[in-house]
Amino acid sequence: MLCLRSPAGRAVNWASCGQRRTKMYYGPRRPRGPLPRTPWTVRGPPPGAKLPWYLQKVPPVREQVPELDTVTYEGKMYRVPWLAKPRRQQWERGWHDPRFDGPRPGALPSHKERPCYICQQLTRLLEGVKQALWLTKTKRIDGLPQQILSLMTDTANQLENQDERVQNAISHARFWVSSEEEIMEETYCPVLLEDLLHLCTTMAAKHPLLAKRMVARDFRVAATWERESILLQVRGINGKLLNAVNPLEPVASKDEILTTENDVLETLYPIAPTIDLQEVNIYETRNDTGFQLGYPYPHPHTIYFAHGDKYHRMQPEQLRAKMLMFAFGNALAKARVLYGDKPRVLEKPIVVQSVGTDGQRFQFMVFQLNTTDLDPSHGVKNLVWIDADQLLYEKARHRPQIRKKVVTIPAGIHGYQPDTFKKFLAFYLHGVV
Amino acid sequence: MLRDQSRYSALPETSFFLPVGNMAAHRIRRLLCNCRQLHSEALAPATTTTTAPPSLYPPVVFSITAKSQAAQRRRRERLYQEVHDAPSLEEKLRIFGRNQRLKYVVYPQTWALNADRWYQDFTKTVFVPGLPAQEETGGEASRVDLSELRSVVCDVLLQELFYQRKRTPYLFRAIDQGPAPFLTHLVPALTAYLASHNPVLVSSSIDFKPDVNFYWLRGETVVPRGHRKGRIDPLRFQIDDKPHCQLRIPKQLSEFVPLDYVAPEEIPVFKVLPDKLPLFKRQYDNKIFIGSKVADPCLYGHTQFHLLPSRLKRERLIRLGLTDQTEVVYRANGIASLFAWTGAQAMYQGFWSEADVTRPFVSQAVITDGRYFAFFCYQLNTLALTVDADKNNPRKNICWGTESKPLYQAIEDNDVKGFDDEVLLQLVNFFLHRPK
Repeated sequence: MLCLRSPAGRAVNWASCGQRRTKMYYGPRRPRGPLPRTPWTVRGPPPGAKLPWYLQKVPPVREQVPELDTVTYEGKMYRVPWLAKPRRQQWERGWHDPRFDGPRPGALPSHKERPCYICQQLTRLLEGVKQALWLTKTKRIDGLPQQILSLMTDTANQLENQDERVQNAISHARFWVSSEEEIMEETYCPVLLEDLLHLCTTMAAKHPLLAKRMVARDFRVAATWERESILLQVRGINGKLLNAVNPLEPVASKDEILTTENDVLETLYPIAPTIDLQEVNIYETRNDTGFQLGYPYPHPHTIYFAHGDKYHRMQPEQLRAKMLMFAFGNALAKARVLYGDKPRVLEKPIVVQSVGTDGQRFQFMVFQLNTTDLDPSHGVKNLVWIDADQLLYEKARHRPQIRKKVVTIPAGIHGYQPDTFKKFLAFYLHGVV
Repeated sequence: MLRDQSRYSALPETSFFLPVGNMAAHRIRRLLCNCRQLHSEALAPATTTTTAPPSLYPPVVFSITAKSQAAQRRRRERLYQEVHDAPSLEEKLRIFGRNQRLKYVVYPQTWALNADRWYQDFTKTVFVPGLPAQEETGGEASRVDLSELRSVVCDVLLQELFYQRKRTPYLFRAIDQGPAPFLTHLVPALTAYLASHNPVLVSSSIDFKPDVNFYWLRGETVVPRGHRKGRIDPLRFQIDDKPHCQLRIPKQLSEFVPLDYVAPEEIPVFKVLPDKLPLFKRQYDNKIFIGSKVADPCLYGHTQFHLLPSRLKRERLIRLGLTDQTEVVYRANGIASLFAWTGAQAMYQGFWSEADVTRPFVSQAVITDGRYFAFFCYQLNTLALTVDADKNNPRKNICWGTESKPLYQAIEDNDVKGFDDEVLLQLVNFFLHRPK
């Protein structure tokens, strides 16, 4: 029976349905005539040409034959798959409900026609430091200023058995902080920063003036300025701020400041300088250090950025740009308090340092605000000293690397670089020693 | 196969004497075999007495696998020996906490009524009101400029509660805006200021929101249900603590009282299971951790700082009519947290319930809700808390503690009203405590 039936069934299946079944014939028909003039590229067809049939989107049947929609299942009062869906009129509330419709455009008092470009803590600037330099009208100098270097090399400014304690701090952050086997970056990065800062605070036994510092976190800074008639703002929460009673002395001398007039800022053309900044129309133009007047530690000293969060992690270049923007923002807000809103060249420049880390590499930055006249690109510029990508250690291994039963790389910290912590400590001691 | 063959071969012999069935023959043969074994064992001591060399045969011990009390005891002793012989401390802690069973999870910050008395029972701790006398720090404290310290504390306080502009906090998260950053910044500020007076602080290590875990056994009960029903099982306890911050130091703090001092106070005894507190049972990893691993040089505790959650606020408890519980919360937190931390430090030095401490371990704690401060000192005299180890053990752990006192009365604009110097002095004394 089976033998008899199966050929019959097969015969039915073989019946030609008008489809091309063979693999080799599948696809577009080969052009018979001469080849088109503009060849096809990866980007698509030449301009003006039609897409091939297999890439053309077929319009739905209801659009091809609009008469189909005349018979709907509205009268049936239930859904019938083969009948058209009845078209209902859009319901109008008849009045404006702000809970559902949102505020009317232009209704808010802080709504303005002119857009403002905001840099906040999650902003990743595409062009990095180059873009931040243009936005803040700053000249970049690689390396650290002489004051910090002299602090760094002075052996009197070091802790007792400093290297051992720093290595303990690294091991604590990388291996010992949790009972779990693997310690994630979001855990060890802030822990390492806290440990290093704790090492720095113990220097207060030598220099009692260091106790006259205050740490603040989760403060909100706001600074507004115009650059080539673009309105810009730095806003919101940023890193840990170390405040001091006395301001830092200017790092660059008057002559060095005056020589910056001849420098030309590098533009980003053809990229817009505001790329990746948040464009808003609802904003307030505020200048605020985040602290009330009369605060006993009014001068920003250093901002510490710990970058370990998995979702808000940045490339080192973007982190540097963010550090520069916020150091500038804090300095500008302070300058506006001291010298008023009128753009001018400051008699006594304001210096703010910032240190950023991702748990392994450190970015050091000293920013000096020379002028609040930021609109034109000529004239005196601000200065920034950047010491980028300083590794504190090269590798931290939880387990040894074993090859053929021989330990090739033991577990632990490898490639510890003592200079990085010296810089960190010199930044902390700057202004006191 | 072999056994079958022997049975068949034995069959004719036994059946020769007794015409019995197959099973009976087997039983008789076993009897004979036993006789033979008994003979050999009886002979063995005779040979050893006559000749000096050690026995050729292993000693006779109870079975390990049998379902008997002797076997159970042997298994326990084998485990103890394994812990004693562990090559390293990590291995010792791992073997000690290897066996997972349902255990009571003790929360140091609890709203259970009268939890401090229960916690004293679990930890064998005597609570002594007041703080122990310290003679060394008294001289140092007089040298500290208190007015300057007051200004430091007031500056931190005013920064968090007045100068720094803050948004309205999220619902029930008001503690994140005032008290938590106050404590976070107060500890480094005081450390920096007092580092010149106390050299231990220079070599200390600070942890923010560390994990502190402790696991211990105390008391016994009968397993009520399950496949182990009816057996006697120790009660297991676990504390998973997260202090706001803590200071660790490389040397041990000096003891308050000698190790053999027995406090005259009584420890409350509860005849019912801890379920009535209520405590609940869970089963997970038995962790013992002081906030850092064994390789860290800073293995001894100095001071812990705890922040009470808003649910345990004094105003709330008074509103609920629990006026008598306001201090209980502080005491329970102090006893449980300090026992966990100090016990974990002692275990990091290789002590455990079968190898009791040979020197006392000491830690301190400051417990605050942002305004009220309570101070606690703890001396761990014994870790032998299991039923076996606790027989004939007169030692008790001692916890000293003060009632909570407000640091200030109110803050009006940039002015701290009613600042209490006694609280500050106590805080300074804690920071100045140093090892010998």
